[in-house]
Amino acid sequence: MTLYHFGNCIALIYIPYYLTYKYSGLSEYGAFWKCAQAGGIYMFTQLVKMLILATFFPDNISETGSDIVGEFLKATVDLADLIGLYIVLNGIPGKGHSKVLTAGIGWAIAEVILTRALFLWVGARGAEFDWKYIQKCLESNISLVQYIATTTLIWLWSRHDMKKNLKPLVTALLVFSTYKILILDMIVKYLMIGPWMSLLLKSVVTLVIGSFTLVIYAGLAQAIGIF
Amino acid sequence: MWMEEVDEFFKGYMPYYVLIFLPLFIIISPINPIQASHEFPIYRMQHFDLHGIPHGSRSASFNLEARSLTNWKSLRHCVVARIKDLTIDQFRDIRVKAGALLIIVPDDLSVLSKEEKQHISILENTIMSQEVSIPIYFIRDSPEFSEISTEIAEHSAVNDLKKSAAEALFSSIAANGYQVVVSPSTPSIRKDVKIATIQGQLVANSLKDKKISTIAIVAHYDSFGIAPELSFGADSNGSGMVIMFELIRLFSELYEDSKTHGKYNIIFLLTGGGKINYMGSKKWLEDQLDSLDGSIIHESAYIICLDTLAHSDSLYMHVSKPPKEGTSSHSFYKELKAVADRLSNLTVEGVHKKINLADDILAWEHERFSIRRLPSFTLSTVKTYRDNHRNSILDVKNSLNVDRLVQITRVIAETLANQIYNISNKAILGKVFDIDRSHIEAWLDIIGNQPRSTQILSNKDNYLLKIFRDYFDKHLIDTKVFYASPDKRDPEFNFYDVTKSTVNIYSVKPAVFDLFLTLAIAVYITTIYFLIQKFPAFYNLACCLTSSAKMR
Repeated sequence: MTLYHFGNCIALIYIPYYLTYKYSGLSEYGAFWKCAQAGGIYMFTQLVKMLILATFFPDNISETGSDIVGEFLKATVDLADLIGLYIVLNGIPGKGHSKVLTAGIGWAIAEVILTRALFLWVGARGAEFDWKYIQKCLESNISLVQYIATTTLIWLWSRHDMKKNLKPLVTALLVFSTYKILILDMIVKYLMIGPWMSLLLKSVVTLVIGSFTLVIYAGLAQAIGIF
Repeated sequence: MWMEEVDEFFKGYMPYYVLIFLPLFIIISPINPIQASHEFPIYRMQHFDLHGIPHGSRSASFNLEARSLTNWKSLRHCVVARIKDLTIDQFRDIRVKAGALLIIVPDDLSVLSKEEKQHISILENTIMSQEVSIPIYFIRDSPEFSEISTEIAEHSAVNDLKKSAAEALFSSIAANGYQVVVSPSTPSIRKDVKIATIQGQLVANSLKDKKISTIAIVAHYDSFGIAPELSFGADSNGSGMVIMFELIRLFSELYEDSKTHGKYNIIFLLTGGGKINYMGSKKWLEDQLDSLDGSIIHESAYIICLDTLAHSDSLYMHVSKPPKEGTSSHSFYKELKAVADRLSNLTVEGVHKKINLADDILAWEHERFSIRRLPSFTLSTVKTYRDNHRNSILDVKNSLNVDRLVQITRVIAETLANQIYNISNKAILGKVFDIDRSHIEAWLDIIGNQPRSTQILSNKDNYLLKIFRDYFDKHLIDTKVFYASPDKRDPEFNFYDVTKSTVNIYSVKPAVFDLFLTLAIAVYITTIYFLIQKFPAFYNLACCLTSSAKMR
C-alpha cells in the first residue's frame, strides 16, 4: 500500500528478532560477530542447496502436491540445513545457552534478511494491499522459534552424554522439522484451509516441537550442570 | 504483582498467542479472498479536432478511487458504471464534477434489447456532442471485471442507513476499496497522419471515337464510434465496402473479356476520412480537378456513393438536386426502382436535401462531388444523415443482416449492369454469373473483425489498407493511392495518439486501517517482549518437569 504499510511489516518481522537477540542475553556476550558468521555459513549452505536443486530438479515449477515423490526428494535437500547448522555449532566456542542461541538466531536472522527484505520492499510498498505480506511476516516469526529449536536439537544430538533412550526422539524431531514445511503444505492443500488457519497450524506445530525440545534440553542441561 | 498474576492466568488456562491471534482473526477474518492487482485493456474515448473544433475527451491519465454511480462525490473519484445504467443527466453531472469515468460495455453488443440499443445510441450522441475535460474510458465486460464492479457497488452501499453503526464502523475501517490507475502518455497531436484513398478503374473499349463517359463508385472505409478501438462499423461503412468489392469482382470479370466490355469506364474509389467530413474524397477531388491534364472524372455520367446499406429494407437515393428527366442519374433511379421491384421486396425512394453551405460538416459523401457540380448521389438504407446508427459502437458484425446485404448487392449490381450494357427488364446476373455470398461473407469477416476508426487506419503501411490495395491491384488497372494529411499551419483535422491503454486496479484499504494495523502489531510485539522476558519461567517449568520425572 504505502511506505507506512511497509514500515508496519518491517516492524512486525524484525522487532521480534531484535528483542530475542537483545533479551536472551546475547548482546551482553558480544555475540554479534558470531551471529554474522552463522549468517555467512547460512548463505554458503543455501548456495550448495541451490546447486543441488538446480542439478537434480531442474523443473521445480510444479505445484505442491502434484508430484509427491519429487517434492519429498526436494525437501530432503533441506537436510543440508542441518549440516550447515552443525558446522555453525562447531564453529562457536562456549557452551550451553549462548552457543545454541547464537547459532540459531544468527541463522534465522540471515534467512529473514535474505528472503524477506527484498520481497517486502518490492511488494508491501506497492499500491495493492494484500494480506500475504502480513502473513509472511508472522510466518518469519514462527520460523525464528523453529530455527532455535532445530539448533538445540542438533546440539542435543551431537552430545554423547545424552540419555540413550532420548536419542531416537531427538532424531525423529529433527527429521520432522526438516519435512515439516512439506507435510504442512500437503495438509493445507488437502484440507483446503485458508492462509490464516494454515498460519495458526504452523505456529501450533512449531510450538509443540519447541516445547518438546525445551523439556529435553532442560533435562540434559540439569544433568550436565549448565544453567 | 498483578502482572505475574495475569501471567499465571495465561500460563494456566490460555496460551498467550490466543491474545494475539483471536483479535487478529476477528478483525481480519477475510470476508472476500485476497485480490491481487488486476489489469484490463481499456479503450479511450474519441479525441480529435475537426475544422478547429475540439471533439472528445481531452485528458488520458488518472489515478483515482473507484466509486459507483450512486456513491461518487468529488473530483477524487472515478465513476465506474455500466453503459445501460448511466443516464444522460448522470453523465452531465459526472462530466463536470467527477475525476474520471469508466464505462463498462457489454461483451456482445448485438444481443441487447431494442430499448438498450436506443439508450446506448442516444448516450453516445450526448457524450460526443460536447468537449469533455475528464478522461473517459470504455472497458469490455468480463467475469473478472464484473466481480470488481459488483464489489465497488457493494462498497458504495457502506453509507447505507439500514446498516447498524457497528457494521458501518467496521466497514469504514476494513472495507476493500479499489484504486484505478491509468497512466498512458499525455495525448499529443499525431504528426504522421496519412489518410489513404485508393483508386482503381476498369476501362471501356475505345475503338470508336465516341466519347466514353465514366461511372464512379465511391465508398468510404472508416468507421466511427464513441471509442476508436470499439468502432467496428460493420454496416457503416462495412456494407458499402463489401458491395463495392463485390461489384469490383463482377465487373472486372466482365471487362476482362472483350465481348463483354461495357460502354462506360468505371472508377472505383475507396475513400478514407469518411467520418471526418469526407476528407479523403475532398483531397482526391482537389487532386483530380486541379490537375492540369484533366481527369476522366470530368466526363462522369454519375458518381454513386455507397453508405450504410444493410440497415433497413428501404433503399434511399440521396441527392442534392432532383435529377432532371433525361439525365443518366434519372435513368439510374428509374432502373433501380424497376430492378428492386423485380428482384426483391425493397422499396426505393429518392430523398432530396440541399447542401447547407453555411455548415462546415457535409451530410453525405455525394455532397463533396455535388459542390463541384458533378452529378452524384448516395445510396443508403438510412433515411436521414442524422441517424445515430452510422456513428455507433453498436454497429458490429453480429447485428448485420447478411441476407439483406446480399439482396441489396444484387439489386445494385443488376441496375449497374443494365445501365452499362443498356438493357432493361432482363436479368444479367443469373446462375452462371451471380453474386457470391461466400465472397461477401469473407470480406465481412476481414472488415468486421477489427476496429476501423479513421485514426487507427491513418498510420503508414496499415495492414488492412494493404489488403484493400492488393485487391484493387488484382482486379483493376491503374491503381493509385492518394494521401490526405492535415496541413502543417492550418490543419483541418488533428488526431491525438492514445486510443487504448491498460488499467491497473488495486485493491486498497482505507488509511485508518493502517493505523489499526500498527496498533495490532504493537500489541503483538509487546506480547512477544513479555514472552521473552518471562522465558526463564518456561525454562524453570521444563526443569521441574524433567526433575519430577527423574524423581520417579
